[in-house]
Amino acid sequence: MSSFASAGRSGTPWWRRCAIPLVAGLIGLLSACAGGSGDSAQARSGQLTLAAPRDLFAGPDDPYFTHQALQVWEPLVTLDAELKPSPALATTWKRSADGRVWTFQLRGGVRFSDGSPLTAEAVVVNIERFRRIAPKQSPFFSLDAGMESAYGRLKEVRADGGAVVFELADPVADLPARLANFFSMIQAPSAFDAAGRFAGKPVGTGPYMLVSSSKGQRVELIANPHYWGKRPALGKVVVRTIPDANARVAALRAGEVDALIDKGALLTGQVGAVAADRRFRVTRTPSVLTHYLTFNSSRGPFADPRLREAVDLTIDRTMIAKRLLAGTATPGASFLSPVFGDLADPNVRTPYDPERARRLVSEVGRPSRPITILISSAEAGQFPYTDIAEVLRSALDQAGLPARVSAVEATKTTMESGDYDIFLSAYSVPNGDADYLFRRFLRSDAEWNRQRGLGYDSEEFDRLIDRAAVSTDTTERRDLYRKVQRLLATDRPMIPVAYQDNPVVASNALTGLTQDACYLVDLAKIAPAS
Amino acid sequence: MTFAVSRALGAAFALLVVSVLTFSLTSLAPGDPAEELLRRGGIQPTQASVAALRAELGLDRPAAVQYLGWLHGVLRGDFGRSYADGTPVAAQILSRVPATLRLAGAGFLIAVALAVPMAVRAQIRPHTALGRITRALTSAIAAVPPYVVGILLVSVLAVELRILPTGGDATADGVILPGLTLGVATAAPLMRLLRSELAAVDGSPFMALARAKGLTVRRAIVLHALPAAAPGAISAAGVALIELVGGAVVVETLFNWPGVGQLAVTAVRQRDIPMVQGYVLFAAMATLLVLVLADVCVALVDPRLRDKSR
Repeated sequence: MSSFASAGRSGTPWWRRCAIPLVAGLIGLLSACAGGSGDSAQARSGQLTLAAPRDLFAGPDDPYFTHQALQVWEPLVTLDAELKPSPALATTWKRSADGRVWTFQLRGGVRFSDGSPLTAEAVVVNIERFRRIAPKQSPFFSLDAGMESAYGRLKEVRADGGAVVFELADPVADLPARLANFFSMIQAPSAFDAAGRFAGKPVGTGPYMLVSSSKGQRVELIANPHYWGKRPALGKVVVRTIPDANARVAALRAGEVDALIDKGALLTGQVGAVAADRRFRVTRTPSVLTHYLTFNSSRGPFADPRLREAVDLTIDRTMIAKRLLAGTATPGASFLSPVFGDLADPNVRTPYDPERARRLVSEVGRPSRPITILISSAEAGQFPYTDIAEVLRSALDQAGLPARVSAVEATKTTMESGDYDIFLSAYSVPNGDADYLFRRFLRSDAEWNRQRGLGYDSEEFDRLIDRAAVSTDTTERRDLYRKVQRLLATDRPMIPVAYQDNPVVASNALTGLTQDACYLVDLAKIAPAS
Repeated sequence: MTFAVSRALGAAFALLVVSVLTFSLTSLAPGDPAEELLRRGGIQPTQASVAALRAELGLDRPAAVQYLGWLHGVLRGDFGRSYADGTPVAAQILSRVPATLRLAGAGFLIAVALAVPMAVRAQIRPHTALGRITRALTSAIAAVPPYVVGILLVSVLAVELRILPTGGDATADGVILPGLTLGVATAAPLMRLLRSELAAVDGSPFMALARAKGLTVRRAIVLHALPAAAPGAISAAGVALIELVGGAVVVETLFNWPGVGQLAVTAVRQRDIPMVQGYVLFAAMATLLVLVLADVCVALVDPRLRDKSR
């Protein structure tokens, strides 16, 4: 007993003696840290802090060094809200009568961030560098397919009395659109070494300059003193990379970042809760992304066009856009989404008529095996594809087409082996180049069409898109593309399900957060709210 | 000496097996990394440029040739280049090692600081209310996945109270929340391991002797049982440290911590095979290193093992 009594000799047990200083220390540590974070944009005196899901910085080996969104460099041509080419460093352009020579006039008084002037010769150096280093991969836009559409027919580019002249082997009707954004990035020739690599930092003409960057973590920008336009209200911008969607929203709610930008800034599931919080404003703008169903029409049940029509009729597009995509999308109809402006055919309708779908199925007869709806597990992490596919499955089931959902890692392999009937996937047209989508996916000789068993072979379609691609008359071109869309609406090799918006969010302490269809936010227009 | 040599040979063999496994798993995985890479901007690449990139990355060679080429490089310290951005794999991993070590170190300290006193306390007075609560609590915490603990910590301390950053290592206090998440998750299994070690030792005759000579229970356990349990404890701590490196993958993603784990997650998403291989090999080396170090430490503190190795 006496040994037990001795345990209490010092009064307090040892663990309690340790615990008190430990807890006190922790509290002290925590309170010392308090106040270090959580300040609003204004409190950080002219600094804007943003977060993006991916790295907008790629480094000196990349064709562009930084994403266009950082506004370190500017292109010759950019795109307006309707994906039409609009002036950036080139203010006007004109085409020769035969469509083989394009002349771009440059904006006057523009200087690069090192103070050197923008000249036609500098532009030529950039275009020639692109052609020299292609094909080259990039996390933004690889210099291959897009390059080919931009520069594939280019014979020569030269400086001519302050203007830039592109001489082409064949006529191209929409060269400015094909050059838009990344494919006409212009930087000072001194930024590149002999091999076309970046020699040091990027030297562009944009409102900001790159100060420092740490791969996968953060990029710091400051205002470019030589910028030709209005000086941005916020002189310093920090863009943090936060790949995890929950971590991104937590950083916003904790006041560590002022806004979330870029493609996929908010997941569809997060939009509702963030929009309900009065401290933030969610901006939804249409994007170049559209969700499509692709049919395996080369064999199996969907070789019969009536069954493709039946599927088209069973899709409750309004429900999918409103509920499953949480209002971040609008129901799809024409093959080209409304971001294509007048190219999108406003008269294409996609009625929801499960009754007629059932009749069509009973007319054709029930397929011998269940339909496979294929989704990619990577895309299912980005959009609620599992839910959409499940809703689709039950709709098909009710129409008399039993189906199953299959989520795979590598859809290419599965599709090439022919092991699918319907593929749900999203596609985007980064340059607003309608021809790209049609030619690369659906033309009878397109690799996508042939290798993945789409089985779409329409002479009329091929003829129409070939004519549209060289048509120099904008009205004729528009009418041709509308004809193409009406054809696709009855042939149905691929059908649009929903046009996806890209929601971005900013703190109410800021104004001026806008975004275009290509996910580009205009950083220079963001200002503290007064 | 023979002890160290045999351990080293075993480790080298284990690494070889790991590298073959990783290589075959990644090259058997469906999908074409070249096409995935070119598609990242959202544009469907042409067949010609996919073929060109496959040739550039050496993906058109037979798998065995690719493996031998890779192994040859690794033996010379060249882990290849990342498919995603062409930078050397080893440099990227090494540049992120300090962040992971800082996080794992913080987690380890917190785990030990929680587990050792709790285990000792539970052994001194196993049947008090506090002991029972501690046991129930550790079981409960062990049952909750670390990311749930992490999300709770973030929403309370970072989002609501704003006393700590939600993540990142830009400020010195950024390590507290991820460290706590990791530490708490590791403390529970560590405490249970320690407690069973202590219980086993407590039953031995020398403990009876210690008490018989008049030591208090507390002194007997702290002075005699704890040192005797040390070899087991060190092995347990080694295992805990390895679990920390594994757990860091989840925690680093959750807290946007710029460590090796976050790098690995991004690499897996992008099918950056050289990076994934580099990471796995690196993690395997780190694991083996910890195990060997733990064995050496055990041999140092345990006189019986020391005698054997002579």
